[in-house]
Amino acid sequence: MKTLWRRHRCWLWPVIFLAPGVILFWGVIVASSAQSLAISFFRWDGFGPMTWAGLSNYVELLHDPQFYTSLKNNIIWLVMFMAAPPLGLAIALLVNQQIRGMRLVKSLFFMPLVMSQVAVGVVFAWFYDPTNGLLALIFKAIGATAPALLSNPEWVTVAVVIAALWPQVSFCMILFMAGLNNLDESQIAAARVDGAKGWHMLRHVVLPQLRQVNFIAIAVTVIGALRSFDMISVMTSGGPFGSSNVLAYQMYEQSIEAYRFGYGAAIAAVLFVVMAVFIAWYLHRMLRMEREGA
Amino acid sequence: MTECHRGMTRRRVIQGLGCGLALSGFGAPAIATQRELVITSDLNTGQYAVFREIVADFGRRVGVRVTLNNIAHEANKTAIRNYLVADPPDICFWFSGARMRQFVQLGLFADISELVARQNFAKPLGPLLKTVSVNGRQYGLPLGGLFWGLYYRADVFARHDLSPPATFEDFHRTCAAARQAGLIPVSMGTKEQWPAAGWFDHLNLRINGLEKHMALMRGEMAYSDTSLDPVFAHWAEMIHDGFFLKHGTSYAWQQAAAFLAQGKAAMMDLSNFIQGAMPADAVDQLRLIRFPMYNASIGPFEDFASNSIHIPARARHQALAQEFLGYFYQPEVLAKFIAPIGSVPPRSDMSPGDNPLMRTATELLRASQGTSQYYDRDTEPAMARAGLNGFQEFRVYPEREKAIRAELDRVRKRVYAPA
Amino acid sequence: MYPRQIKAGEPARKSLYLGSVTLVLFLWLLPLLAIILTSIRPAADIAAGDYWGWPSGFDLIANYTGVFTQTPMGRYFLNSLIITIPSVIGVLCLSTLTGFVLSRYRFRGNTLLFAIFIGGNFLPFQIMMIPVRNLTLDLGIYNTYLALIIFHTAFQTGFATLFMRNFIAALPGELFEAARAEGASPLQTLIHVVVPLVRPALAALSILAFTFIWNDYFWAVVLSPSDAVKPVTAGLANLKGQYVANWNLISAATIVIAIPPVMLFFFMQRHFVRGLTMGAVKG
Repeated sequence: MKTLWRRHRCWLWPVIFLAPGVILFWGVIVASSAQSLAISFFRWDGFGPMTWAGLSNYVELLHDPQFYTSLKNNIIWLVMFMAAPPLGLAIALLVNQQIRGMRLVKSLFFMPLVMSQVAVGVVFAWFYDPTNGLLALIFKAIGATAPALLSNPEWVTVAVVIAALWPQVSFCMILFMAGLNNLDESQIAAARVDGAKGWHMLRHVVLPQLRQVNFIAIAVTVIGALRSFDMISVMTSGGPFGSSNVLAYQMYEQSIEAYRFGYGAAIAAVLFVVMAVFIAWYLHRMLRMEREGA
Repeated sequence: MTECHRGMTRRRVIQGLGCGLALSGFGAPAIATQRELVITSDLNTGQYAVFREIVADFGRRVGVRVTLNNIAHEANKTAIRNYLVADPPDICFWFSGARMRQFVQLGLFADISELVARQNFAKPLGPLLKTVSVNGRQYGLPLGGLFWGLYYRADVFARHDLSPPATFEDFHRTCAAARQAGLIPVSMGTKEQWPAAGWFDHLNLRINGLEKHMALMRGEMAYSDTSLDPVFAHWAEMIHDGFFLKHGTSYAWQQAAAFLAQGKAAMMDLSNFIQGAMPADAVDQLRLIRFPMYNASIGPFEDFASNSIHIPARARHQALAQEFLGYFYQPEVLAKFIAPIGSVPPRSDMSPGDNPLMRTATELLRASQGTSQYYDRDTEPAMARAGLNGFQEFRVYPEREKAIRAELDRVRKRVYAPA
Repeated sequence: MYPRQIKAGEPARKSLYLGSVTLVLFLWLLPLLAIILTSIRPAADIAAGDYWGWPSGFDLIANYTGVFTQTPMGRYFLNSLIITIPSVIGVLCLSTLTGFVLSRYRFRGNTLLFAIFIGGNFLPFQIMMIPVRNLTLDLGIYNTYLALIIFHTAFQTGFATLFMRNFIAALPGELFEAARAEGASPLQTLIHVVVPLVRPALAALSILAFTFIWNDYFWAVVLSPSDAVKPVTAGLANLKGQYVANWNLISAATIVIAIPPVMLFFFMQRHFVRGLTMGAVKG
C-alpha cells in the first residue's frame, strides 16, 4: 500500500485535491446546465411531457425581432460594463491607504454590492421619474424639461446600465483591493529606486502584476453584463415594449412567465455561446501571456 | 411526470446518496405528525397577519398542528411550480379562471366538488362558481375579488367642476375639461405593462361584449378581426387627444398613482388596492365608478379578478384540508380575511362591510351582466406575454396598430396551435 | 505598499487626500443615501410622489421594527446564517484546492477543466431551475438547508476556482521550487506556503461568496418553500405585496439585510495586508 502510494503520489495528490470540487461542480452545475441546454430541443411547459422539437426553437428565435433587440442591448451592456474594472481599480487605488478610518470608508465603498437590487432599482427609477424624479427636479430648477429616459427606446438601456454599474464597480474594487495586497513589494521598491512614478509606474510595474486579477475582473464583468437580470426586472420589466430587454431577461419571460422552457433554453444556449466565445478568446490570451511571463 | 425519464440506476444511486445526506441531520425534513396541516400562502403582510390568526383558531378547534408558510406573492408564481410537483402542501393559493384551468389540466389541483356540494357553496357563489370550475367540477374556492373601474377624487372633481362620466361621450367631455383645467385626464403608468391591457379589456368589453372578448381570450378570434377595429380606433383617439399621462412607460402604477394623490390627475383605471397606495386624506376623497358605457344595450360587463385557494392533488392530508376549507369559507371567517385589503366579498351572503369603496364595488359587480378576470388571467400565459407588450406599445405608438395586431396573431397561431 | 502611503509628517497632503476621498464617497453613496432617506419616510410621502424631499415625518423606528414584526425576519436571519456560513467555508476549501492544482500542475485537460469552471457561470441560472430542483428531490433534500448549501457551494465554486487559480498563479514560481527542494509534500506546500500568502485573496473571496449567497433569492424560492428554511431575502420580498409595495419598509429591510456582509467586510480587512514577506516563507 505504502509503495503504491509512493509510486503514484505525484499524480495522486492533485487528483485528491481536485476531486471534491470537480465532483460537486460537475454533479450539480455542469449536469444541470447540460440538461437545461438539452431542453432547448424540446417543447416543454415545465410540467407535462416534453415533445421533441428539433431545431424549431432556434429557428423561431432567429425570426424573433425581440431576439435582435435583446442581443443589441446585451452588447450595450457589455461595452458599458467594461467601465467597471478601471473604475474599480481607481477606487481601490484611492482608498488603499493605511489611515485611521479608512476601514470604514472602504466598507462604505463596498455597500452597493450588498444592497438588494430591488431597492437600488427603485431608487434609480425614482431618480429618472420624469415628473417627481431627482433628475426632473434638477432640470426644472434650471428651467428645462428632463428627458424621460426610461420611456425612450434609444436611451433606456443606457439608463439601466448606469444603475447596474454601481454595484459592479464595487465588485471590481474588492478584486483589486485584494490584488494590490498581492503585489511583489520588491519590484515596486526597485522601480521606485529607478525613479518610476505616476502613470509609468502604474502602467509598467503595477498593471503587469495585476494581470491575473484583471482577468478575474473582466471575466466577472462580462458574465455580469450578459447575465444582467434584476435591474431590468425592477426598473423597466424589459420595456418600453421590449426595448430594454436582454437575453437573460427574455429567457426568464419566456420560460418562467410564458411557460416555454424549450424556447427559454434556446435563448440561454445562445447566450452561453456568446459568453463562451468571448471568454475562450480572453482565456487563450491570458494563458499565452502567462507562459510568456513565466 | 415525464420529466423524470431518467436511468433508474442513476436515480437509485442518487437516492442512496440522498439517504445518507438526510441521515446526517442537516437535510432532515420536519417529520410529519399524524394530524398536521401544511398551508403555503402568498399573502400581503396585512392579510397574512389576519390569516395566521384564522389558521391558529382552526388548529385549536380541531386539535391539529398547522404549519403556515408565506411566500411573497410574485415569488409564489415561480415557487408553486416547484412545490406542487416536489412536495405539495395541503392548502395553497393561486388564481381562479384560466390560470387555475392550466393547473387542473396538468392534474395538480384536487377536485373539491363534493365539498362544494355538501356545503352548498353554489348558492352564495352564484356566477363566481364558474371561475373555479372545469367541466362542471370545482377545483378551488374564490377569495376576495378585485373589481376594476375608474377612480377619481371627489374634491378634485368638485374644484374643477368635472362630472363623473357615464358614457363614452361623457368620458371625452370630462377628459377634455380636465385637460383644460391643467390636469392629466387619466394617469396610467405602464411600466408594469398590465394597466394598458386592462384598458383594452374595458374597451373591448364595452364595445364587443363579454362573449366576443372571451372568444378572443381563448384564442378563437383573431386580433385582426374587424370587430376589434373600433376598439383600437377609440383608444387611438383618446391617445391623440392627450388623455393619458405622458411618458407612461416611465412610471410604475404606484408612481402614476402619486398624481391622483397630488390632485394633478383626474382619473385612474384601477382596483381596490389603490387604497393601499394613497395617503389617508386622499383615500377619504376617492370615489369609484364603472368604466363608461359605449352602448346601453351591451353589458355592463366588468373585469373582476379573484385569487383563489386550492388543495393540491398530491396533498398528504386531503380530508383535513377540506375540513379547513369548510371552516375558512364561513361568511364570518372569510369576512375577517378580506377586510385588510378591502376587496369584494366572494359570497353574496356576506355584508360588504363599512368601507365605502368596497360597497360601491360590490354594488357595481352585482349590477353587471357578467365578468371576465383580466387580460393576463384570461388568456394563455404565452399569449398574455405578447399581448401585454403589444398594448404597452400601442399606448405609445397607436400608429403601429397594424403591425402590433399582426404580431399578436402570429403569437396566437403558435400558442393555440393544436398540439 | 502601492500606491505610496501618506506619511504622518504630511498634514497638508493628508487633508487634501481626505477631502477628495470624502467628495468621491459622497457622490458614490448618493443612491445609498436615497435608500436610507426612504427607509425613514412615512409611506404617505412616497404615495404622494415625494421621493427626494425632506421626509414629512420620521418613521425610523416604525419602519425598522415593521421589518421584524410584519415578516418573521428574525427566523429568516438565522436561516441565512445557517445556509451561508457552511457554504462559504465549503467554497473556500474547495476552491483553494482546485485553484492550487489548476495553477501549479501542468497536465492534459488542465485548461479545459479550468474553462468549464468558468463556463459554469455562463448560463443565466434561472434556466437550471427544474434540473436543480429534481436533483434535490432525488437526493431527498428538497426544502432543507442542505439543498441550498449544496447548490450555493457548487455554484460559487465555479467563480471561486477562477479567483483562487489566478491569485495562486500570481505567486512567484521560485517559492514552489524552494518548497519542493526542501521535500515538502503538496499538502504541506498548500498549507504552509500558499494559504498564508493568499490570505488577502481568501479574505476577499469569503466576502464575495458570503455576499452572493446571502443575497440570493431565486434559489430560495425554488428550493425552500417553507418558512423554517427561507433566508432573509424572503423577508424583504414579503414586503412587496401583490400590488402595493411598501417602499419605505423595503428600504429599511435592505439596510438591515446589508449589515452582516458589510460587517464581515469591515472585519475581514485586517487580512487585506500581507501576512508574511517572501523571505519569511523561504527561511
